[in-house]
Amino acid sequence: MINFSFDGKAYTAQVGDTLAAALLRNGIGLVGRSFKYHRPRGIMTAGVEEPNALVTVGEGGRAEPNTRATDVFVYEGLVARSQNRWPNLSFDIGSVLGLAAPALSAGFYYKTFFGSAKKWMFYEYFIRKAAGLGNAPTQADPDRFSHRAAFCDVLVVGAGPAGMQAALEAAESGKRVILVEQDNILGASLIRDPQELDAAWIEATAARIRAAGGRILTRTTASGYWEHDLVTLTQRLSEPGQTPDNGVAQRLWHVRAGQVILASGSIERPMAFAHNDRPGVMLSQALRSYVRRFGVVPGKRVVIATNNDDAYKTAQAMKDAGAQIVAVLDARPAPAGANSGHRVYNNAIPLSTKGARHCLKNVSASVDGQTLEWDADLLAVSGGFTPVVHLHMQAGGTLDWNADAQAFVPASSRQNVTTIGGAAEPQPIFKMASAAKPKKSFIDFQNDVTLADVDLAWAEGYRSVEHLKRYTTLGMATDQGKLSNMAALGRLAEKQGVAIPEAGLTTFRPPYTPVTMGLLAGAGAKDAGAHVRRLALYDLHAAKNPIWQPLGYWFRPRAYPTGGETLAQAALREAKAVRNNVGITDVSTLAKFEVSGPDAAAFLEIICATTVSKLAVGRGRYTFMLREDGFVFDDGTVWRLDENRYLLTSSTGGADRMATHISYVRQYLCPHLRVSAVNVQEHYAGIAIAGPTAKAVLTTLIGEEPPRHMSTVPAVIAGVPVIILAASYSGERAFEIYITASDAATVWAACEAEVMKVGGALYGLEAMEFLRIEKGHLVVGGEVDGRMTPHDLALDKMLNKAGGFIGASGLARPALAEAGRRQLVGLEALDGDIPEGSMLIPSEGASPQGHVSAGAFRIIEGGSVALGQLVDGFSRHGEILIASSPTRGQKARVRVVAPHFYDPAGERYRD
Amino acid sequence: MTEVTITTLPAAPLHVFEIWNNAVAVAKRFKAAMGFALPATGRSGGNDALRLIRFEPTVWLVEGDISSLGDVLAEDGALTAISGGIVRIRLSGKGWRTLLMEGGVFDAESPDFAAGCSAATIIDHVNVRLHVIDETTCDAYVPLSFSQGLLHFWRQAAGSLVE
Repeated sequence: MINFSFDGKAYTAQVGDTLAAALLRNGIGLVGRSFKYHRPRGIMTAGVEEPNALVTVGEGGRAEPNTRATDVFVYEGLVARSQNRWPNLSFDIGSVLGLAAPALSAGFYYKTFFGSAKKWMFYEYFIRKAAGLGNAPTQADPDRFSHRAAFCDVLVVGAGPAGMQAALEAAESGKRVILVEQDNILGASLIRDPQELDAAWIEATAARIRAAGGRILTRTTASGYWEHDLVTLTQRLSEPGQTPDNGVAQRLWHVRAGQVILASGSIERPMAFAHNDRPGVMLSQALRSYVRRFGVVPGKRVVIATNNDDAYKTAQAMKDAGAQIVAVLDARPAPAGANSGHRVYNNAIPLSTKGARHCLKNVSASVDGQTLEWDADLLAVSGGFTPVVHLHMQAGGTLDWNADAQAFVPASSRQNVTTIGGAAEPQPIFKMASAAKPKKSFIDFQNDVTLADVDLAWAEGYRSVEHLKRYTTLGMATDQGKLSNMAALGRLAEKQGVAIPEAGLTTFRPPYTPVTMGLLAGAGAKDAGAHVRRLALYDLHAAKNPIWQPLGYWFRPRAYPTGGETLAQAALREAKAVRNNVGITDVSTLAKFEVSGPDAAAFLEIICATTVSKLAVGRGRYTFMLREDGFVFDDGTVWRLDENRYLLTSSTGGADRMATHISYVRQYLCPHLRVSAVNVQEHYAGIAIAGPTAKAVLTTLIGEEPPRHMSTVPAVIAGVPVIILAASYSGERAFEIYITASDAATVWAACEAEVMKVGGALYGLEAMEFLRIEKGHLVVGGEVDGRMTPHDLALDKMLNKAGGFIGASGLARPALAEAGRRQLVGLEALDGDIPEGSMLIPSEGASPQGHVSAGAFRIIEGGSVALGQLVDGFSRHGEILIASSPTRGQKARVRVVAPHFYDPAGERYRD
Repeated sequence: MTEVTITTLPAAPLHVFEIWNNAVAVAKRFKAAMGFALPATGRSGGNDALRLIRFEPTVWLVEGDISSLGDVLAEDGALTAISGGIVRIRLSGKGWRTLLMEGGVFDAESPDFAAGCSAATIIDHVNVRLHVIDETTCDAYVPLSFSQGLLHFWRQAAGSLVE
């Protein structure tokens, strides 16, 4: 026995029970309240199509609302609660809404939009309070979710007799086979009707499939069918609310299949009659499942209503279990059911029920036009069978109409999918029409939609089935119309005076059954979806407790506060150290490419818009790259390390894009060149030392005179070979030191020690931003925003006059040289701080003429400066504008100046 | 439980070996010098001292001693060091194929992906090169910056490979 609780009361279940079976076993028929009218609802089905018995299972962050009691298997300690009721399930104040049903009919929600907004605000409060399903947990889910790929020749969906046989044949013919079953055991309809093939057959067949190398996944639902025969499977490794054995609660499989065989069976249809939603009204096959699979007999006096032969199996099962078959109401004329051995009424259609809390009291029906009544506690109905065509339709399939079964069946598909078994050949039924009053005849139990609601939608002009669905809310929520769609289509077709196929169909969209958000997020659910890229020197930085800054997928130190400093205080202190003395920072994330070969310079002069071939060995230069349309998309430096070997650096944020660009140029545009271009971004860690005493510090470290500005030498620091590039982003004499990443910690330690010895400081991205803005250096993603040409950025004098670089042709377009383009400018604040991202306007209310791309403080002098883009900015130096950010409520008056606030002649670079 | 052991291998010399000219001649020189042929696409070749894995049509990853490869290439190609940027992770045990399916998109469970095969793929957003050593061993070449994250992902996934 297994212990569980429902609404705080302890019960016991048997091993293998679903929660629905366990509740019925304990005599509980009332399980939930309906969405809109708060009508008492019981258990209608035994599968994933259950519309009524929705409960919340589990506690804390593991709680799962809107779980179908028919689709959760009881485990020790399971905690379940009913939903959408107050103060309790038996006495629910919300049930008074049933009295207001005439006012709450189809489309009432939309009608509340009429009138003033104030009225809607009034209605909204009550609607939100009254309607709804379960509440989402407020705590984080403690469990993990996994994504796994799988490949197979044949994917079989559904482990009933047809699916198992198909899987067996495929596996034993040498194919890679995956067989999936949403239940926790195999067999499907054989569990309910084991007469032909019994449990031994199921066990033996499964063993043969596995022996042939097939993979069988139970508790796994094929939830989506995508292009190229990609099928997603959702697998429950633990039950809702249950602590998983291995930490993973669910797994989302991405299966790429050569062929998909759908053996997904069919879903039994309810019948439309008054009060057909009471606890005690159940689908016929579901009842048979409870009796034969779980040994639960939910009633003693049973009426069975049917339009087909299948329900007689239920009558027999109930009789075998000791229940009394009060009547079989067969919609078909005599002699249907004549030899069944039960009391059969032909031409019989249910009209209404009366009920107690957990079961029925009475069933009435029209029999040959006469109304008859029976005392009964249970009514099993079978209104026919709807093939499960969802995956077939998601695969882009079409449907045929099977008139005998009054059902749509799979036809063709543009993907390699086949449907077999009951889903392809549903049982024939007798076409019947409801004789009951439509107002309480529910067709969508989950959304409280009745036949009258469909009639009302029709009367109000909703002709398309898609409009009908949205106006009435039919076919929405967790069951997605599995029980209701055919009834609604039938009613709509009746109103239109057409056959059902002509009434149209709604769209079948994934997922087939509800999928939790955590499963979709997978392993990334806990860390925003992707790994953080760690610096080679991550541990050294982390030991200093920096403020971290996301930069692409990287995290880099933004500042190293000490003694309770704020970010701004720390950054200013660090920047001052660079201006006055020396600072050290990690620049490992810069993109780096090693370009080798006799044609390396020619290759680089295609990538870069500046000259490269004129560089002497040991020299470097600033460079930038254009898109084919002539706009700047990245910048960096290029260094001639050897006769035929260069190092190209570019921005961190554009590193992946640059790698793709270089690969494209190498493989598609220049396959003829004798060159090798290798991405060495991560091979080399980078350390920058900058400041007026940087040269002295480096001299101590390498034991010789460091290279002059824009020169490079190999050297050794702390016994480790390094490449030193004399380049500056800060505006001070500076050096970048590149080391094989695995040796970076040794070199960093030596450099840091020497910097600290002379009173220098570590500096992070924030200080670097202050320094580069003051110097007027560009940043990709800021000033280089994809809309600026070399002319706009005043880089045109550096262009390779010989042309031949990517973007040269695009750049020649006249429009790119016309007046009215935005150009790079500097901005000095006349009052206040310049808000970053603000628009530049000549006067209040005027149209924007540009924007501020980056703002900073003057490091030594104080005051606010910025870089920006301004229409015809080069010719507007001296103008006074307003930098305005209405969204932040900030503005400042600014003077337009040249974009170099610090050492414009570059004298501080030189020794 | 599906068994797999995850081990970070010690740093080793790794180079990119690229041919830009006279590929046939280089291949002949290579075979004459090394005693084995340059491996084909998706394959590896070599021995304990030197192993090559073909990355791209004209590019191989070289693991081990490259001292004689300069002469093999002569003026027809280049060797570029990349070892600082790559972490080698060894997946051992019967479960390595299953582990690689976690967060993956590549059919590591295919029987055709056998010893001597290599592949480039994405696993949990990370670009990874795979090299099958034998039926119970597969080496993964992972970018340094992602290696800690992927190791964490794999170690966590390895504890829950049960189906």
